Amino acid sequence: MSAIIRRELKLNLKSMLIWAFTVGGLGFICILMYTSMEGEVMEMADSFSQMGAFSDAFGMSTLSIATITGFFATEVGTVHGLGSAMFAAFFASSMLSKEEDGHTGEFLFSLPVSRSKVITAKGCAILVHLILFTVICGLFYVMGFAALGEEIPGKEMIRFLACMFLMNTEIATISYLISATSSKTRMGLALGVSLIIYTYDIMGRVIPSMKDYLFIGPFSYVNASEIFAHIDAPKYSFLIASMVILLTISGTFITYTRKDLAS
Amino acid sequence: MEDVIRIQNLTKHYGKKRGVEDVSFEVRKGEIFGFIGPNGAGKSTTIRSMLGFIRYDSGSIKILGMDAVKDHENILRDVGYMPSEALFYPAMKVSDVIRYAADARKKDCSKEAEKLCERLQVDTSKKIRELSLGNRKKVSIVCAMQHRPEIFIFDEPTGGLDPLVQNTFFELIKEYVNEGATCILSTHILPEVRKHCDRAAIMRDGHLIKTDTVESLIHSTAKSVKLTADGKTEEYMFSGDINDLIRELSLKHVENICIEDPSLEDMFMHFYEGGKDNK
Repeated sequence: MSAIIRRELKLNLKSMLIWAFTVGGLGFICILMYTSMEGEVMEMADSFSQMGAFSDAFGMSTLSIATITGFFATEVGTVHGLGSAMFAAFFASSMLSKEEDGHTGEFLFSLPVSRSKVITAKGCAILVHLILFTVICGLFYVMGFAALGEEIPGKEMIRFLACMFLMNTEIATISYLISATSSKTRMGLALGVSLIIYTYDIMGRVIPSMKDYLFIGPFSYVNASEIFAHIDAPKYSFLIASMVILLTISGTFITYTRKDLAS
Repeated sequence: MEDVIRIQNLTKHYGKKRGVEDVSFEVRKGEIFGFIGPNGAGKSTTIRSMLGFIRYDSGSIKILGMDAVKDHENILRDVGYMPSEALFYPAMKVSDVIRYAADARKKDCSKEAEKLCERLQVDTSKKIRELSLGNRKKVSIVCAMQHRPEIFIFDEPTGGLDPLVQNTFFELIKEYVNEGATCILSTHILPEVRKHCDRAAIMRDGHLIKTDTVESLIHSTAKSVKLTADGKTEEYMFSGDINDLIRELSLKHVENICIEDPSLEDMFMHFYEGGKDNK
């Protein structure tokens, strides 16, 4: 099993680094842009916070974007949320199906490893890469704050990244289940699902009648403005996230251990 | 001789499509067993069921006394399988693939791998994506043999290999078999079966139609008849009581006749066509 984990880590390292440097780098640039935009942002902050549902959707009514924390939460929160969700979907959606899609399944499954161990090993590789991705992005954000000489909101930053990691894990497990059910890589489907989930959250924040159901989606507990403003995540959102992770992992094991491998 | 593989009443359907039906045969320790049949006959389905790639509908498969479903992982420790496609991860180097296969078995196979690479002339520094089919097949042979398994299963192994490497490949098989290993050779290249196999099974349309020693398959009761009689020339396989054939021939004005044991190719066609030319 460790051989599979090592191979997957090595094989996907470059791809993970590209994603992490892209998302983290974008966040870093966003933070640096704060100083050059500080004056204009001050003027815009009031009007942005009074745009009703639109302000709610992007958290601008919760925190002022005139502050570095508010600017970070609004801008980088969106970039990291979307970027990391797409990375998780992209990465996990091909993890199992690529063996059948690339016709390497016969080689892999002729080795003395059960399918359960393959699922576990590849799942571990996904988890490690998600952790590394989150840490690298976090370092970029810390560097951004440090470059501006601003105080780093440590606790909030850790909570923000931890929630993002949980959301990424949730998206990854959904994508992993998609990967287990198909013998072709369904990257488009997985990316589509992550974007639908994101859109659901935006709609939930714009349409008042949907607000009560926000907790179902994983983006409900990663709203950076709420995290930095110390507002609790919607009730049951973490419970739902845990249930989704558990169910999709169980589904992955049940599906993949019973399916006929395509030749 | 002890049976190392025992398949009983194996049946597998892919939805409404036939896979294999009621297949039963045994492979004995130390033999090279040919598994013959045209494409779609069910050879790969049988092999894939043995290796746990697919779940079969009914029947049982015992390999080295273990159940192919329950003890799947333990069985694979003692099996070296070479798939027909020989596809690996394109970005990996040959040496990494060989080491990966050994690591997955938690074995240090470096000496054996080195020996095999030398004999098969495998360039371990290349990346998989740079290899031709023949070279990928050589890597596949190394991966299947380096841990010195008790059972080898080769699916169409020689396609893409040049004649020299084919010879080395069969030499290696014979060396391992002489040391006690068993080999299943799934192929539709009949001269390979005739030259290297002790026994063979013939598959047709998902059914096992004959299992016997290669010698017996060739010298079975079926005879190849080439006949010129009453101004007509005929060629057919005859199975049954030879006296019936003589009685039948006595009614004709025979100008020329040749009755002989069929070649393995003739036998195969005879079984494959369901004896439609059979008299």
